[in-house]
Amino acid sequence: MKILKENPIYGFCMVVFPLLAMFFFTSLLADGLPQDLPVGVVDLDNTSTTRALIRKLDGFQNSKVAAHYPSVAEARHAMQENEIYGFVYFPKGTTSNLMSARRPKISYYYSNVSLAGGSMVMKDLKTVTTLGSAAVGMATLRAKGATDKQIQAFLQPIRIDLHQVANPWSNYNVYLSTVFVPGIMMLFMFLISAYSLGMELKFNRGKEWIEKADGNIVVAILGKYLPHVVVFLLLISFYQFYIYHVLQFPHVGSWAMILLLSVLGVFGSIGFGIFAFGLMPSLRMSMSICSLWGVLSFSLAGSAFPAMGMDAALQAVTWLFPLRHYYMLFQITVFNGYPLIDAWFHLVALIAFTLLPWFVIGKVKNAMLTYVYIP
Amino acid sequence: MLCLLMSIFHKFIQAINDAAFIWRQELKQVLRDEGVLMFCILVPLAYPLLYSWVYNNETVHEVPVVVVDMSHSHQSRQFVRMCDASPDVQVVSYATDLDEAKSLVSRQVAKGIYYIPEDFATKLNRMEQSTISVYCDMALMLTYKAIYQTAMTVSTKMGAAMQVALAGNYTDREDVITVSPLEVEEVSMFNPQAGYGTSVLPAVLMLIIQQTLALGIGLAAGTSRERNPYGDLVPVHPAYSGIYRIVGGKALCYLMVYAVMGAYLVMAVPKMFSFLQIASWQSLLALMTPYLLACIFFGMTVSCLVRYRENVILLMVFISLPLLFLTGVSWPQSSIPGVWQGVAWLFPSTFGVRAYLRLNSMGASVGDVALELRCLWIQVAAYFGMACLVYGHQLRESRRHANLPA
Repeated sequence: MKILKENPIYGFCMVVFPLLAMFFFTSLLADGLPQDLPVGVVDLDNTSTTRALIRKLDGFQNSKVAAHYPSVAEARHAMQENEIYGFVYFPKGTTSNLMSARRPKISYYYSNVSLAGGSMVMKDLKTVTTLGSAAVGMATLRAKGATDKQIQAFLQPIRIDLHQVANPWSNYNVYLSTVFVPGIMMLFMFLISAYSLGMELKFNRGKEWIEKADGNIVVAILGKYLPHVVVFLLLISFYQFYIYHVLQFPHVGSWAMILLLSVLGVFGSIGFGIFAFGLMPSLRMSMSICSLWGVLSFSLAGSAFPAMGMDAALQAVTWLFPLRHYYMLFQITVFNGYPLIDAWFHLVALIAFTLLPWFVIGKVKNAMLTYVYIP
Repeated sequence: MLCLLMSIFHKFIQAINDAAFIWRQELKQVLRDEGVLMFCILVPLAYPLLYSWVYNNETVHEVPVVVVDMSHSHQSRQFVRMCDASPDVQVVSYATDLDEAKSLVSRQVAKGIYYIPEDFATKLNRMEQSTISVYCDMALMLTYKAIYQTAMTVSTKMGAAMQVALAGNYTDREDVITVSPLEVEEVSMFNPQAGYGTSVLPAVLMLIIQQTLALGIGLAAGTSRERNPYGDLVPVHPAYSGIYRIVGGKALCYLMVYAVMGAYLVMAVPKMFSFLQIASWQSLLALMTPYLLACIFFGMTVSCLVRYRENVILLMVFISLPLLFLTGVSWPQSSIPGVWQGVAWLFPSTFGVRAYLRLNSMGASVGDVALELRCLWIQVAAYFGMACLVYGHQLRESRRHANLPA
């Protein structure tokens, strides 16, 4: 069965492309959080107070003051030209009105067209404007003779102590690469599983293949996919090793869980690929189905836009995607390190995907023995 | 002189005729081949609807949260009530301690925990700063944001009420100034509800155009190769005699199909799901013309590189997701490392998506996206040149096989 490895496409799809995807995502998101996003300033006041705030904004990790604009219209235009993600506007007289308690109004504008960029910029702009407001209160209270502790308690009576469990830096690399890279690998598992069966049919090697296994389709399938399983397991293990050991992604769950997850992911995906071919024993149709299914997985896994936000019917549909179960199992047992029993449903679902070919095995055999490839 | 003109004219007419013939042949082939039909017609029709449906709700509301209230005070209950009343968070359960709350999160009943310590009210009444701990499940950024921001907003609001009570002001105006001496106005432009669909969907739509075009052209090329006795891309036929005729004829066929599909994707789909749509049809036309052409020639170039029709699926499907990231929608463009920025320039989708987003979602004018449009036209020229080169090669190959003079 290992003769099949001659076709270079296998080498590409089972090793080169997945590795490429792995390095693509981990290097693209290497910063973890978008840093030094360009932000603009419209400072019509131009006093030491506003300049101090602008310096503060520039000092934040996520934002960088890229340009000053003479008017709001020009700053907006710069946003449309993709130069900045947001800007802060100080109208003329801000400082003098602030000093004389006339409550001036400053504004900040940001664009959420790029969600990650927009929310980062928004956070910094919000913080810096809040600081500006607090500075006044602080100065007043200090003049009245309040202690630092009293000032803090007055300005912010309730403090929110945020615990970002398992990803304290809200690192996007940890958040996205852990799901999308396995997703791409699973996509290849789908496709290659269907492809390898289809190629048997296309080049009329099906009969020969079944005969080698003495007419036993179970043996034939197992024999055919053994090398696939080994290669993909090595691949996904290397990936897990790379992100958790080399890149030091946080994982609360144990290595045993990570391995279990990898094994289930590989088996479930290959099972799905064979099933897709069994449903439609034609190379073209089964591969189309697999690719469409695989691409949809990324959305319906619910890792970026949560499944709970989708319509109820779609929430049920997500169960049909192995990546959804992979993601749930990953986040419950590996990412958060909760007990496996809380993810039992997804565990069972992945096992079920592994066993799916059972239903179509007869059809595959029939196809191999009797079908003729129609281009 | 007239004779020469006439002969040039005749040649020209002949070329147009040949191109039209190839156009018809290609169209026939597209309509006959179910694989191509699926990717060129069915997928562009159905996928946008599916994606729109997925992202139609835009944001998450009522994220389930479990509360551990150790304080059991008037203030703590007020905090919980206010959080529960907010649009983004819903208090689904009360737990007696953190461990119980954690097990609820583990069972996916809740996505976060609000922990209010015993001394919460005591400290507030003593005019000391008190703390509420927020624990978020970081597996989902959107729920984390909802849980954290709601807690922040509610605590600020409660804090403001306390400030007013403490300050001992006489007038309402004084109260307002005490709470916020500086009025801050937050303006979220172009995507005010921070909707996920509004942000991602335009990019997905544009990407669908490029990917299905490349897949369709690749599959069609694979089929004609397999039909051909020598495995050649270009059949031996008098009409298939010039490179430009072949490339032009084939491109016309796909342009015809995708003029309709493109209009459907950028005009009809956003309307159906009432997504943001600011761009005028003139500016969309200015964008879509170079984009479609660039995609078609890109697809033709790629199609010559694969031998079996199925291999193109393996290649194009794989790059879909990385391409989406390279456009700068999910990950800000300014944070993409230089190497990948360079790689991104190779694909029409990068510029197409960027220009479309800014025209359609941000109300930019054609002048604002001039850079992207220019890049697209350069890509049209470059990929047209490359398509001609590879087809020229294919043409020579097939002539060699047919023993015709090159």
